[in-house]
Amino acid sequence: MFNKDTKIINVGIAEIQISKTPHILRTTLGSCIGVVLYQPDMKLGAISHFMLAHDPVGRDKQKNPGKYGETALPLLIKMFEEEGAKRGSYSARIFGGASMFKNISSNFLQNIGENNIILVREYLQAQKIPILVEDVGGHDGRTISLFLEDGRILLKKAGIEKYLYRVR
Amino acid sequence: MKEKIEEILKDPSKLPAMSHVVIRVMELLRDPAVSINQLATEISNDPTITASIIKLSNSAYYRASKPIRTVQEALMTLGIQTVKEMILVSASKAVLHKDLKGYSLDAEEVWVHSLIVGLLSSKIVEHKKIDLPKDLAFTSGLLHDIGKVILTQFFPYHILDIRNELKNMTTTFTELEKKYFGYDHQEVGVQVLSAWNFPAELIEVVGHHHNPQNAKKFPLLASVVHIANTIAIISGIGIDIGGINHELSSFALQKTGINDSDLEMYYMQIPDLQKQIQDLRNS
Repeated sequence: MFNKDTKIINVGIAEIQISKTPHILRTTLGSCIGVVLYQPDMKLGAISHFMLAHDPVGRDKQKNPGKYGETALPLLIKMFEEEGAKRGSYSARIFGGASMFKNISSNFLQNIGENNIILVREYLQAQKIPILVEDVGGHDGRTISLFLEDGRILLKKAGIEKYLYRVR
Repeated sequence: MKEKIEEILKDPSKLPAMSHVVIRVMELLRDPAVSINQLATEISNDPTITASIIKLSNSAYYRASKPIRTVQEALMTLGIQTVKEMILVSASKAVLHKDLKGYSLDAEEVWVHSLIVGLLSSKIVEHKKIDLPKDLAFTSGLLHDIGKVILTQFFPYHILDIRNELKNMTTTFTELEKKYFGYDHQEVGVQVLSAWNFPAELIEVVGHHHNPQNAKKFPLLASVVHIANTIAIISGIGIDIGGINHELSSFALQKTGINDSDLEMYYMQIPDLQKQIQDLRNS
């Protein structure tokens, strides 16, 4: 199944990565969100792994756009479309946004996941990019691997792995 | 199950091995009057540790003011505490860079999590001006999950039960470990560090990083590591089969004086910390 030229490209926290078949994009998520874009005819895919919905300070987002949903998502879409993907020909899948199971003492940590989920749904809807699959919220960590040869995603969560095949 | 784990804990040959040189150096360091010569002689008995110290001393992470060629020079230029930190990084990698299948973590994830919790613990001590040595915070954070290395092998016996319990999420993950194995990874970690004769501070933090309010002698240090660990897990670094299935201790926040905007800042620093540990990852 693995082509010898296949590379596993890790998408670090606050990073955006784009690649094409035969490579694999992989990322691990807690409260962060992983937004996957995939264009099935071009076998082109991208992942943005952002940390917070909005920049609380307002000054950091210019320097580190990948950290915040408000700046990471426009950048992700711009980069993806610059590779030739036309709006309407690709769709999104979203993962992550977990929250702490019980927490009385920090509103910040409690709400990161939920705020991230709200932002990504709203933004993609406004941009008319359909969300085909979502596995968000709860208390589990998730590792997602995007196989660019056909767009399938291997989702690992709570020690269980499953493939998600839907790409259009 | 509990008996099987006790069998391992009672038999030092079944525990993860720690270099005798490291154990001896940790003992020597309890004497404030220990000399650099004594330490250098002892350290040079372990060629792997010696090579790591020289490599790390010349890395960007430690920024020595001049090239370091010997352990003696490292001790004189960077100081005893820094060299101790390097020794523990190198020795811990041998133990912690392991696939923990039961926890659903690979070796690199375990290692990066340990380094991030160590580094963030020392940053918290610095940022909140907490009266604790930074290297102690670092090494406590580095070793906090050591017990998982033993417990991981027992997961296959109860994995279906554990997965079912995780779906309902009624208790914390350490409580689940205790229920099915008779021990949680904190208690196992205490046994491992005790067998190595490591300092009491490290033992207590390992034993109470999920419940720092129960730490008797070093609750402040345990609180720092608890918070660093929580931030690492929320950001997905070393997030295991238990997910974010533990509580944030309000005791730890009070004890350290850490508020919501501090937590936010620590969380947002994670990408930078990941860059900073590059040299240590490959030590």
